[in-house]
Amino acid sequence: MSSVGEGTAAVMSSRARARERPQSPAVLEVRDVVVRYGGVVAVNGVSLDVHRGEILGLIGPNGAGKSSLLAAVGGQQRVQSGTILLQGRDVTRTAPYTRARHGLVRTFQTTSEFENMTVFENLLVAGRGASGASLWRATFGWRRYRAEERRVEEKAWEILGRFEMADLVDAYGRELSGGQRRLVEIMRCLMRDPAVLLLDEPMVGIAPHLVAKFVRDLRAVAAEGIGLVIVEHALEVIEQLCDVVVVMALGEIIAEGTYQQVVADEEVRRAYLA
Amino acid sequence: MGHFSFYISTLVVYFGIDLMSAWSLNLQYGYTGVINFAYIVFQAAGCYVAGAAVLGPDTGPNSFQHYILGARLPFPVPLLAAALAGAVLAAVIGLFAVRRIRRDYQAAVMLIVSLILLQLVENDTSIFNGQNGLTGIPHPLESALGLSLAEYEWVYALWVLAICAVLYVVVQKLCRSAWGRSLRAIRDQEDAASALGLNGTKLRLEVFIIGGAIAGLSGGLLVEFIGAWSPGAWGYAETFVIFTALLVGGVGNNRGMLLGTLIVPIIVLEVPSFLPTVGYPGLIDAIEWIIVGLSWMAFLLFRPRGLLPERRFRAPRLAAALGRVGLTDVISPAPAAEVPVLADADAPSATVRAGSGGEEE
Repeated sequence: MSSVGEGTAAVMSSRARARERPQSPAVLEVRDVVVRYGGVVAVNGVSLDVHRGEILGLIGPNGAGKSSLLAAVGGQQRVQSGTILLQGRDVTRTAPYTRARHGLVRTFQTTSEFENMTVFENLLVAGRGASGASLWRATFGWRRYRAEERRVEEKAWEILGRFEMADLVDAYGRELSGGQRRLVEIMRCLMRDPAVLLLDEPMVGIAPHLVAKFVRDLRAVAAEGIGLVIVEHALEVIEQLCDVVVVMALGEIIAEGTYQQVVADEEVRRAYLA
Repeated sequence: MGHFSFYISTLVVYFGIDLMSAWSLNLQYGYTGVINFAYIVFQAAGCYVAGAAVLGPDTGPNSFQHYILGARLPFPVPLLAAALAGAVLAAVIGLFAVRRIRRDYQAAVMLIVSLILLQLVENDTSIFNGQNGLTGIPHPLESALGLSLAEYEWVYALWVLAICAVLYVVVQKLCRSAWGRSLRAIRDQEDAASALGLNGTKLRLEVFIIGGAIAGLSGGLLVEFIGAWSPGAWGYAETFVIFTALLVGGVGNNRGMLLGTLIVPIIVLEVPSFLPTVGYPGLIDAIEWIIVGLSWMAFLLFRPRGLLPERRFRAPRLAAALGRVGLTDVISPAPAAEVPVLADADAPSATVRAGSGGEEE
């Protein structure tokens, strides 16, 4: 057991190491965010940065505030204080759909595919630039709408091909396996050309033999310059995937660094790994 | 023969009006998930406004009926006014009723709105003549056409069917557009749709207003045909008839609405009037409502997607895009290929049919 002072020192040192991360401006900046549910403080003054092409893993015990933080960043949960900057733009008080339009998209802990729509339609819904999604343009802007719709369809085919899901293009969301649903969610997010992608426990429901493929797919996504934030309990996935790992406990960040650094941290061992 | 012709032409008019109602509710509930238990209110708004718009101004204390918005507008302006009334009322109610709330709460709000407005119009005689309602509403263009009543009714039936045909084209176009796809997305998973950039409240409000306009228009057509309208005609139970037609025909399928409207409001509620009277007076009417209720429950339990379910959209096979990502080899012209048996994502097995995409026939 380490003392409080030792734990703080470990945190400081791991954070110091984390400063070796990319020097490019952060695409997502979370500053001193506080989330409360009534009298319970779920997230207590958390700050973190995500850079383009970086995969940030968020781990910690149940109740640590990981999903609440993700919801705060995604806009599903109101923050009591703090700031969230997306590509330098303050989105702290904006609705989730506004954040999505500015480049921040997410998946959810439980799969959220549109179950009565085909895989192709799931992708088209998210197609950026599908101006037909506006009632006015769907009604009166037919010529321009058709051209844009065609571009979105071509993009959907390209993403389907990349994720080897083209054979399921006409399947309803409700007809897919758990792993396929996860892939549809991620493909759908990519249709928006995001700057930041938030993934809440993406490995839940994924068959063990598919995990390696999934990790490869996510690495390829990050390689496109997208910043990824992943909440995940499967530590082997975090180890394989993440450039930087942030450990939360009781609503606060207790360590930050590479996977090897944080698992060696005494406070992390005591609060989570033990 | 004269009576039979009159009866059939009346049925055709009712069929057309109920069909418009079913399409309106299908847009709201089938495509968007808005449980509008106040539907009949928007149709009633169209009835009252269209009626007042042709009756002329209220002539004051000596008149046997009192109403607001009285005018003598030429055909077809009262119908446009009816559609506008439905849309405006929907915009006002929609501002609080289609916000992001649980669907069961939303259904309760709609039902309450329906009851409040019925009580208001029924008890305040200065709005639309209270319990007695509006009467003496003339048929549009009746004297100008110079037809017998039977001939006029058939012309009116054709007029209603023509409007239905135009409306079908419009509604189908909207439903098949990216906007229609967005409606289905917020219906299925609003959190996910919102996280992808869709504003669910705005989409619901838009569809609620369009549905309100269609309801108002159908009300205008109805009141110009029957010539009278009163609170007795728009109890909340009328909404449930249209909802049953929707469930029977197929939620999310505009062609299914043709079938549902034919079966529920026409066959179930009108055919029994051909049957010989049995039991005490009103027994047949009571049985009709029992059949409507049982149909609702039976379809929800055993065939929730209705007789003609929402149709599967087939992705258009775009040769250029497929070529770029090396998918041309998985295109198969085999027409019998179905959606593949689904297993794990790493087990692609079935074929992708070549074609231009669209809804499955």
